[in-house]
Amino acid sequence: MTLTALSRTLQYAFVAALFSFIAAPMLVIVVFSFDANRFPAIPWGGFSLEWHRAIFEDEMVRDAFVNSLWVGLGTAVLSTVLGFAAAYVDHRYRFRGKTGFALLVALPPAVPATILGMAMLAFLSRIGLFGRIETITACHVAIATSFSMAIIGLRLGEMGKDLEQAAWNLGASPATALLRIVVPFCKPALIASFFLSAAVSFDEFLIAWFVGGVHETLPVRILNLLQGQVNPKINAIGTVVLVISLTLVLVAQRFVGVKVAKKVEAA
Amino acid sequence: MSQPVAEPVPHRARTAGSQRVLPAVLGLPVFLWQAVFFAAPLVFLIVITFWQVKSFRLEPAFVLDNWERVLLSSPFQRALVHTLTLSAVTTVLALVIAFPAAYTIAFRLPARLRDLAVAALIVPIFSSYMLRIYAWQIVLSPEGLINTLIGHLGIDPLPMLGGAFSLQIGLLTLTLPIAVLILVFALSGIDRTLIEAAENLGCRRSRVIAHVLLPAIRPALLLAATTTFLLAFGDYISPLFMTGSKPPTLSILVVDTVKSGSQWPRASVVGVAMLLVLAVVFGLGRWLGTRGTGKGHS
Repeated sequence: MTLTALSRTLQYAFVAALFSFIAAPMLVIVVFSFDANRFPAIPWGGFSLEWHRAIFEDEMVRDAFVNSLWVGLGTAVLSTVLGFAAAYVDHRYRFRGKTGFALLVALPPAVPATILGMAMLAFLSRIGLFGRIETITACHVAIATSFSMAIIGLRLGEMGKDLEQAAWNLGASPATALLRIVVPFCKPALIASFFLSAAVSFDEFLIAWFVGGVHETLPVRILNLLQGQVNPKINAIGTVVLVISLTLVLVAQRFVGVKVAKKVEAA
Repeated sequence: MSQPVAEPVPHRARTAGSQRVLPAVLGLPVFLWQAVFFAAPLVFLIVITFWQVKSFRLEPAFVLDNWERVLLSSPFQRALVHTLTLSAVTTVLALVIAFPAAYTIAFRLPARLRDLAVAALIVPIFSSYMLRIYAWQIVLSPEGLINTLIGHLGIDPLPMLGGAFSLQIGLLTLTLPIAVLILVFALSGIDRTLIEAAENLGCRRSRVIAHVLLPAIRPALLLAATTTFLLAFGDYISPLFMTGSKPPTLSILVVDTVKSGSQWPRASVVGVAMLLVLAVVFGLGRWLGTRGTGKGHS
């Protein structure tokens, strides 16, 4: 083996090791959710659906799941609409305080969720919004809109400004041009944003934990289970959660079409 | 009969009105939403740091007492130093691991595999971090997978959970996918002719990396570094589950202070202090990123 070939093999091995590190925890959850043993251990105790059945019979888990679905759906719809509006305003117009406006939308994910959750709890309970499903949704929207604006903004950047101007010159009002030209052009990004916002909401636990009160979302249920005794149900819930967020992210990715290769070959 | 023809209206005049109305109709709801659910809570958090707790009730006031008590207390200072050290170590580790990986992904992998790698990096960013940490607990705990496995081979159990090692495993689980992703995008965007030119001029790989690649992606390196630092600094889950909160980080301190009842002003001080640290780190990152590239002056 030549030195270059050896160095390449090492490089590939390093990347393979990195991806194993990233994938390992998710695999552990899925594999041991089907383990008959009560405590995850090697050797595997044999295939069993016992824990999966147990979570479907657990009323608290079911409630948490339903809450997560509603919160996720609400977040997906609202943050896609708001994210589109924010991205469009940022793309199209110049106005005073534009930087501030963009930061107000872009910044929430940069604030540690512990601090944001505490702040939201303090403020929202003052104005009487504590402990409601709608409040969790509203807070998730504040975070997910940031991702939504970013994805839709990228797409708007590809549009160019002349398409819309052509529509105006042909007599369309800005609102008509927006609905007939811009929105259809952004459709893939809107769909991607919908699924990604749902994924963001579906995995968020600290803020839902702070502002939700007695209403638990699925991640909050897991957090509360984790703080108790070892519970084999966690792997089963985890598998369901992972499958759902994996699906949401992969669907989003399909529509947004992340291709690094194109960029490289174009360069 | 032909359709009635409308008076020709110059489109400037027609759009002038809605050019004012439309941005307001679109922008105002987003602005209000973020103002109420994001900005106002943070502003309120700052305000509470000056409030007082009287007989277990939070009362408006303007006292500096909370700041003084928290900043001068040794638990806070210990947690601050611990959290800063922790995040700095994570940042260095993440960059040292992420750069070679990103390099291989961007320059060595065929296009299809590269896209697959990018997809495999995006997925974990949006899938439950808390569950992945729980999985590491199963793997690393004294009766965990690694220890039962090596036990069959007759090796004594290793104490892996509960210390700096497991904490870094946890924090890297959170930060590595993002760090690698940022660097892959940056390296993929580099003009290949630059590299070829350097190679034609006789540069070895190591020189190309040091003198062409690294300077070219400096902003991305700093973005990866600041993002990693931010995530590690604010993380609550890894310190909680990997070390059992010992020693406490600032996030643990915040949550414990909130949970312990009425000490909202002090918890807020810790929270605001954390935001100040992050603002300084980000400012520093931006300054380093634009310095010398000419972008800072435009």
